[in-house]
Amino acid sequence: MLTKEDFFCDFENKWCPGCGNFQILDAMKEAFAEINLSPEKLLIVSGIGQAGKTPHFFKCNFFHGLHGRALPVATGAKIANHDLTVVVSTGDGDCYGEGGNHFISAIRRNIDITLLVHNNKVYGLTKGQASPTSDIGFHTKMQPHGVIAESFNPLTAALAFGAGFVARGFSGDKAHLNQLIQKAIAHKGFSMIDIMQPCVSFNSVNTHAWYKKRAYDPADEDHDTGDIDAATALSRKWGDRIPIGVFYQKESSSYTDRIHHLDAGPLIDFAYEKNRVQQLIDNG
Amino acid sequence: MTVDITVTIGGEAGQGIQTVGDLLAQVCRKAGLYVIAINDFESRIRGGHSFVQIRISDHEISSPRYEIALLVALDRQTVLLHQDKVSEGGVILSGELFEDAEKPVIAVKFDKLAEEAGGKITANTVAAGGCLALLGAPFEFLKDILSSRFGAKDPSVLEKNIKAAELGYQAVAETEFKWSFTWEKGPEKGLLMNGSKAIALGALAADCRFASFYPMSPATEIIRNLTVMTEHIPFVVEQAEDEIAAVNMIIGAAFAGVRSMTATSGGGFCLMAEGLGLAGISEIPIVIVNAQRPGPATGLPTRTAQGDLLFVINAAQDEFPRFVFAPRNVSEAFHDTIRAFELSEKYQAPAIILTDQFFNDSVFLATGQVIAPSSVPRFIAADADLDDPENYHRFAFTESGVSPRALPCRGKAIVKSSGNEHLEDGHISEDKSNRTRMVDKRNAKIEAMTEEMSGPEEYFEDAEILLIGWGSSAGAIKEAVDLLRDKDIDAGCLTFSDIWPFPAEKAFAATGKAKKCVTVELNSTAQFKRLLRQQTGINCAGSILKYDGRPLFPQDIIEEIDRFL
Repeated sequence: MLTKEDFFCDFENKWCPGCGNFQILDAMKEAFAEINLSPEKLLIVSGIGQAGKTPHFFKCNFFHGLHGRALPVATGAKIANHDLTVVVSTGDGDCYGEGGNHFISAIRRNIDITLLVHNNKVYGLTKGQASPTSDIGFHTKMQPHGVIAESFNPLTAALAFGAGFVARGFSGDKAHLNQLIQKAIAHKGFSMIDIMQPCVSFNSVNTHAWYKKRAYDPADEDHDTGDIDAATALSRKWGDRIPIGVFYQKESSSYTDRIHHLDAGPLIDFAYEKNRVQQLIDNG
Repeated sequence: MTVDITVTIGGEAGQGIQTVGDLLAQVCRKAGLYVIAINDFESRIRGGHSFVQIRISDHEISSPRYEIALLVALDRQTVLLHQDKVSEGGVILSGELFEDAEKPVIAVKFDKLAEEAGGKITANTVAAGGCLALLGAPFEFLKDILSSRFGAKDPSVLEKNIKAAELGYQAVAETEFKWSFTWEKGPEKGLLMNGSKAIALGALAADCRFASFYPMSPATEIIRNLTVMTEHIPFVVEQAEDEIAAVNMIIGAAFAGVRSMTATSGGGFCLMAEGLGLAGISEIPIVIVNAQRPGPATGLPTRTAQGDLLFVINAAQDEFPRFVFAPRNVSEAFHDTIRAFELSEKYQAPAIILTDQFFNDSVFLATGQVIAPSSVPRFIAADADLDDPENYHRFAFTESGVSPRALPCRGKAIVKSSGNEHLEDGHISEDKSNRTRMVDKRNAKIEAMTEEMSGPEEYFEDAEILLIGWGSSAGAIKEAVDLLRDKDIDAGCLTFSDIWPFPAEKAFAATGKAKKCVTVELNSTAQFKRLLRQQTGINCAGSILKYDGRPLFPQDIIEEIDRFL
């Protein structure tokens, strides 16, 4: 049986003390240990931002790529070897801003990977500018008169784009987040968890206490995760009470299931066949 | 009798011009002739003007020619645009007697005969029949090609096309034509393919299994070929949401261990530049084809150019080793593609194949061998190859700069990679001495990479005037040398296909015997001339430059050579 210590990595962590990322990191490790996913079987792909650094604090395979581009890298890796368990660790700026187009397309492909979005509603690494999920009116040094654009709602969008597993987690409820991560990985097809987290340095509005007071799991109120309309209504709830948990789940064949070549096994495992290639050449 | 004639077939987009071109080229190949067919078209699906120009010869040829022996006009526009190129003794075969035709016209009612054959859509086949009859080809040759082309379809389609071809053929069977010649059956001199197909075949022969792309002329045809050919072999083609996704997807797939490629043109390559750098710093082998077209921005989407040379060598911020190949002909494109995959993996550096619209869309006879290798060498470390897989460091410092490359989730070795500057183990580092060592490690590969590069192909390299070119212009340059030498001008040429790392010593040695060097390029600022000077100190006397978006013809060089005599 694995424990979170099996994922221990002594690389120095440079996140701010009190950052919600620490709980997310813990929840990830605990979830992977509980499903017995060993470090050498796990691939974490990340982009740029504080969330993008997550795999460096892990013992596991990782690819830490460009800003916004974690999803296409993860998609390529999964296509090459669909036996991999691929988890994407990204943030609100990385995934919904710079990588927005890839977010839409990864959902449409239903590629069987798990997307964890550390959503603190602000840019941390670049020191406090507005993110796509910052609330309208949110004040930053770069938006001194408040954010002008409306906030992006990733869950409503994911549901609209047809995602098969849509959930929201909260860094302050580690055990709950752990369970969500386990469910997301078990889901066949694309799964996403938007994870609310405080930013202790640049977001003084949406603090740990602010979230703690509001978070509740709709499962306790008989939410039907198979009901897309109920899930969409839930995704629009924000204010005094904020739902966390699985909003919607419906499995359908994933991208790699839909490619007939891959029925026989992962792309990487096929042998080169000279004769078949030569036949194609000679067929003219 | 020596056969060397050019047939031009012109009409509107949508009239099936390209099909006529394909049919003629295939008939010529069956007859043991050499052909080059260029496709000239506008960026539109219907209307406008497009044409196919086929040069047919009984000896090896490497470039198209301007003079037309037979102009097949499916519309009046074709007559107006091309009749000035119709040579002495040449004729226009057209659907009607256009009164502004200045050259002899043979009118055949293409549309009427097509309707008689079963549908107006076969007018192009009527024209193909007429064209081959004038050239003296036996009808059976065309019938065979039509059968293999349409045989698999609805039998009535084949029937209609054979009828159409026959009606066109009979209409001019008795007409005398100066350039008619005796056709024989075979032996075939090689496979017929355009540059796009040669690259697609090379990719399969290199065991590439994944291609991600965003549609962009003139690169899409490479992917279309891959898509068609891999119906029954394990290969995944994914149309990405944009070029940024395309390049990052192939990086992900290559990281996981599958040879992967993308194909685009200059605009898409711009979007891939950051990904190219990511492959550079994370030492991931990928192959990117940049099929050049005139730019900047959208430029001329369906035209040709060689304007991206310095861009692809320098694209992405900062410095990292990369390969750039610019194949000179289709046989070479097949082999260069195999080399690009192999060398990219051997040195863990991205490779770029630089082609152009002329090369991608023109049909050539591959006179070199096109043979898939019996096995594909891989440069991957399994646990058994590593001293201590549990302590694996993806970016371990080595003398060669190449670190053993393990794959993620394939054993005990854990693979950590980052596009940030990193330590040997793949973790981020801002340490200054590590940074210097890591840059040096990556650059250490360049020496051995340079050794892998071939020097230029030499042709009368000790001539008074040495023409220097690269990529697909090589054919026209070589033919220009022949034509110049026929005129007692002491010309020779060097043509490069291995561009980067630049084979400087080989280039320097090859230019040593000539009195005067002149580059010939399809760009406006003599990019290769500048590169040659930068890398070797050789200062060319000047350049012959063409940047109208059209392919290079030997005549373009001959018309400008006086400046250098």
